[in-house]
Amino acid sequence: MAASVRLLVRPALRLSDRNINPVASGASGFSGCCCGWPSARCFSDAVGDRSTHFGFETVPETEKSKRVYKVFENVAQKYDLMNDAMSLGIHRLWKDTLLHVMHPQPGVRLLDVAGGTGDIAFRFLEYIRFQQEWQKRGGARSMQTPSWQDISSNYSRENEDRLQESKAVVCDINKEMLKVGKQKADSMGISAGLSWVVGDAEELPFDDDQFDIYTIAFGIRNVTHIDQALQEALRVLKPGGRFMCLEFSKVTNPVLARLYDAYSFQMIPVLGEVIAGDWKSYQYLVESIRKFPDQEEFKQMIDDAGFYCVQYYNLTGGVVALHSGFKL
Amino acid sequence: MFRNVLGRLVTETGCVRRYVVKALVTRKVSAASVSVRSFSDVKDEVGQPFDVSLLEFLVCPLSKKPLRYEAKTNELINKELGIAYPIVDGIPNMIPQEARLIQKDIDTSTTPMQD
Repeated sequence: MAASVRLLVRPALRLSDRNINPVASGASGFSGCCCGWPSARCFSDAVGDRSTHFGFETVPETEKSKRVYKVFENVAQKYDLMNDAMSLGIHRLWKDTLLHVMHPQPGVRLLDVAGGTGDIAFRFLEYIRFQQEWQKRGGARSMQTPSWQDISSNYSRENEDRLQESKAVVCDINKEMLKVGKQKADSMGISAGLSWVVGDAEELPFDDDQFDIYTIAFGIRNVTHIDQALQEALRVLKPGGRFMCLEFSKVTNPVLARLYDAYSFQMIPVLGEVIAGDWKSYQYLVESIRKFPDQEEFKQMIDDAGFYCVQYYNLTGGVVALHSGFKL
Repeated sequence: MFRNVLGRLVTETGCVRRYVVKALVTRKVSAASVSVRSFSDVKDEVGQPFDVSLLEFLVCPLSKKPLRYEAKTNELINKELGIAYPIVDGIPNMIPQEARLIQKDIDTSTTPMQD
């Protein structure tokens, strides 16, 4: 009930927001990130201290990151459960698709930003382990009658243990999410090649040219300055490294879009209240999805940041888009 | 299950009883403490051992310079800026606002944040 009323009120609020912003234009002496950025956000940024969107609300930028932190602090314990409930388990398929497109080889280094509970990192290590076993099995099959030399060289190769070379680093701004992730890792018994760091996506605590793959799955819409996060991604990637981003996006099919909207605004906050006891956080979640730029616009942003061969794949009819770019 | 074994052993050998009881007690205790220990381990030890291999590519987010691991206080020190990042449960906290200034005039946790 309340949700459907809110659904009607939201567009009205949004319109009023847009009317206010161009009127309150100010002298823009802002430096750095927003210079010459051709997006509607510039109008609101020109108003004194810069403001941005938090769901459908407009909040000062400094406040956004604090509020996002609080949202995820509240939902951390039930995060995985909620993901399964809200997406009906489909989020697992999305993440599996990310890994298949990524197709990591043994020995690469992954940085998973906004990785929180570590889903991508676990899948990454699993994928590589599977690949190595496959290779070993293929190798074993071809060696039907090995000589003593072959056997001894096989043993020495096993001792190399190339899984140690593949490293996955999970970085998240929220300690609670990482704690949940670490507990998961410990209970699953995965520890080799997995590291956890608390860090800000806009100011990564990593050196330049360090990672082969940078992923951010369902996290970039929570970042206050997306362009800064993209710049940092470019910085920490090795030349030839790949940037991959999974994020909710615009649904292409209009019928599906209506269904998706109804589901988002009416089911998800209710599920949030029932399962996690937190209506507002999930309200923020669905609103933030609506505020995030669509596939083409985000592709443009990634391109502007300096990535090459930027492309996107629509998953589930555009509900989720997988963007990919290379640092060359 | 243990009680059956205990019973049989007690009836069979008398002197073994003492050892069996001790073993049973220690086994019970260890079974309980293992489950407890896995939680207290995380809390009691000053975090799990910090993985020093992280220092290969971990740098200060502000200056992008390498850090030094200080085992005593379990922190990562950036000497230049004079700040220390805490490590909690083996997870380094690299948020500039959470870093501590290591100077005589302590200004708590307000390190210069770039805009």
